[in-house]
Amino acid sequence: MANPSLPSDDELIPRLLAQDEASYVQVVAAYHGLMVHLARAIVGEAIADEVAQEAWVAVLRALPKFERRSSLKTWILRIVSNTAKSRLRHESRTISLDESLEESPIFDPACFKSDAHWAKPPAMWHADTPDALLASTELRCRISSALDTLPPLQRAAVTLRDMQGLSMDAICKILEVSESNGRVLLHRARSRIQMAIEECEGQ
Amino acid sequence: MPKCKNIAEHSSEYLDHNMPWWKRPGYWLHIAICVHCRRYINQLKLTIDTISKSPDAVPPSVSTEEIQAIVEKMKQSTKQ
Repeated sequence: MANPSLPSDDELIPRLLAQDEASYVQVVAAYHGLMVHLARAIVGEAIADEVAQEAWVAVLRALPKFERRSSLKTWILRIVSNTAKSRLRHESRTISLDESLEESPIFDPACFKSDAHWAKPPAMWHADTPDALLASTELRCRISSALDTLPPLQRAAVTLRDMQGLSMDAICKILEVSESNGRVLLHRARSRIQMAIEECEGQ
Repeated sequence: MPKCKNIAEHSSEYLDHNMPWWKRPGYWLHIAICVHCRRYINQLKLTIDTISKSPDAVPPSVSTEEIQAIVEKMKQSTKQ
């Protein structure tokens, strides 16, 4: 998705390479918030800003070698994702980045019978619009804490797709995952949030 | 025709319009006759719309001072 406040990549990249300060300001104003948003999904709130700032330095360093196989925005977000992932590994967190791709089932096995039809069908929800769901403080907190407990790549996938509206193709490039893994990450993330809502609404 | 479990597993693909054409007729037919799966899909759609409207969906705002500080760091890094 092109940013209307920015010149096209064709105009912007040569200016950035020429170290034009006004273009630095434009690009930081357009993308820094999104970068922190993505970094937060992978490394958490505390160091997200630091990771995004580190990524800017990496962007400038790598820009002369940028091959234009994706948009500038996708490429910058990919650098953020890689910076955040290395930071996670460096800090030897116990969370596995690939946890979300393991073979664990998406659904509680008790949900389905052996013939793969519903054993525990979804219950009716009281609210039927996003605004009605978000009007409940308890539900807002549940959604927020469900997001916080998602594995890093699942949270990144849902942030990029459902919050920032990026295409699956761009998301797979940014997170460096195959298209099928990207879809699994996104579906698992959404299912966990849906379950969090169901716990409140389905009673 | 897919079973309920397949419907649930592929529901994101369906809602994102990423489902291969040859899978769609069986999927549509199942949803048309199964009230539980229809409810599941509608709730997943509502979940996605709710995520996109939730306070967590708003990227943090960046002040002019912050932008300037980052730009200064970028300029410094190109001098090294």
